Amino acid sequence: MAIIEVKDLTKIYGNGDNAVRALDSINLSIEEGKFVAVMGPSGCGKSTLLHLIGGLDRPTSGSVMIEGKDIAKMKDDQLTELRRRKMGFIFQFFNLIPVLNAAENAALPLILDGVKQERAKARAMEWLQKNQLGDRSTHRPDELSGGQQQRVAIARAMISNPLIILADEPTGNLDTRSGDEIASVLRSLVSDWGRTVLMVTHDPRIAAYADRIIFLKDGKIVDDTLMSSDAPENARRLKEKVESL
Amino acid sequence: MTVRHSLLGLLAQQPRYGYELRAAFTALAGGSDNWNVTPAQIYTTLNRMLESGLVEIEPSDNGSTSEKRKFHITPAGLEEFNRWLLTDVRDEPQQDAFYLKLMLSRHLDFVDTSRLIQIQRNGLYRDLHRITQAREKLDQRTDLARIMIMDKAIMHLEADLRWLDMVESRLDEVVKQPPPEVCLRPRGRPQKNSPGSDRQ
Repeated sequence: MAIIEVKDLTKIYGNGDNAVRALDSINLSIEEGKFVAVMGPSGCGKSTLLHLIGGLDRPTSGSVMIEGKDIAKMKDDQLTELRRRKMGFIFQFFNLIPVLNAAENAALPLILDGVKQERAKARAMEWLQKNQLGDRSTHRPDELSGGQQQRVAIARAMISNPLIILADEPTGNLDTRSGDEIASVLRSLVSDWGRTVLMVTHDPRIAAYADRIIFLKDGKIVDDTLMSSDAPENARRLKEKVESL
Repeated sequence: MTVRHSLLGLLAQQPRYGYELRAAFTALAGGSDNWNVTPAQIYTTLNRMLESGLVEIEPSDNGSTSEKRKFHITPAGLEEFNRWLLTDVRDEPQQDAFYLKLMLSRHLDFVDTSRLIQIQRNGLYRDLHRITQAREKLDQRTDLARIMIMDKAIMHLEADLRWLDMVESRLDEVVKQPPPEVCLRPRGRPQKNSPGSDRQ
């Protein structure tokens, strides 16, 4: 079963003459344990898609099934619960809390969830160490490089043991080298930890780490490519031409 | 020509047997997946270089086949190698097979030009993915030389992908462009009474 199943998903912002169709009847199925990139020109709807799948926004119509449950039909508290338990979010600007150190930032989701400080921090340290940040745990965000801050954000996303990681331009604010590092960490969340990663990016270099790339344009999927197999060829039109000769 | 001069360069380092040269070239070029030369190519090249006096066979080691013969470079070979080494390398970015496909497809009604772009993009992404995966497995400390050539390939693929995005975003305009002007001036002396004979 697909872990994420999107059916006829449409999102319209505004109404009347000002209505903008950000997503237009999207259908999409994502298998568990895959690294999927979403690409497309700005304004194509890729962030909207990520937000709807993450339950950060509600669709105008259609459904988003996470492990077979339609999140569009969930009440707010159910949705919050699902986001906390099943999903981890990574953003372009890291969204770390400036006055908290790396360990406290990474531990935050557990602390908000009522887990005791000590236990939460121990879990945070585990994920910081996995991200080669064990020796930076007492540094505040302004004492860390962009790449390090994003790795703290990944530790924070992973601490509640989510099945799905949603990343919105995770390397958009980083130099090439740090971007590669972050993409490599995301890759290992899939390859070594069996998580499902859905990542929006405009950077081909970063998208190349994924198993599959979905291309959006004007709110529609225009192409969907598996990195390991051959592209289907448009044979029908050629056949018609051959027959007409 | 690159293989030939690389073999000269390897011989400029030290005399080598034919079979050693193939292995050394393969290692130099980043593995046989990256650049595969057949033994036949190596030995044909070596024999030609023997004929033109760029390499010689070690007198003490005159085996019957190229494989078992040990080669060393001659002064002429060293000069040729140095000349090649000090010449800048150019490729031909304006001779592009995909560009030709794109231009041909504009005026063929059975081809969907935007589909061509997608197919090309998929192929480039698959290459990019394959190289990125291979690069991930290498060690920054010991494999830096190989990482460098992979970085070059990655950067070129990135550029190709960005170019495709640009073409795609302007495809409507591109498709409407008139076909390139064709110059049909006959070559050589015009034939008498042929339709083109009155042209300049």
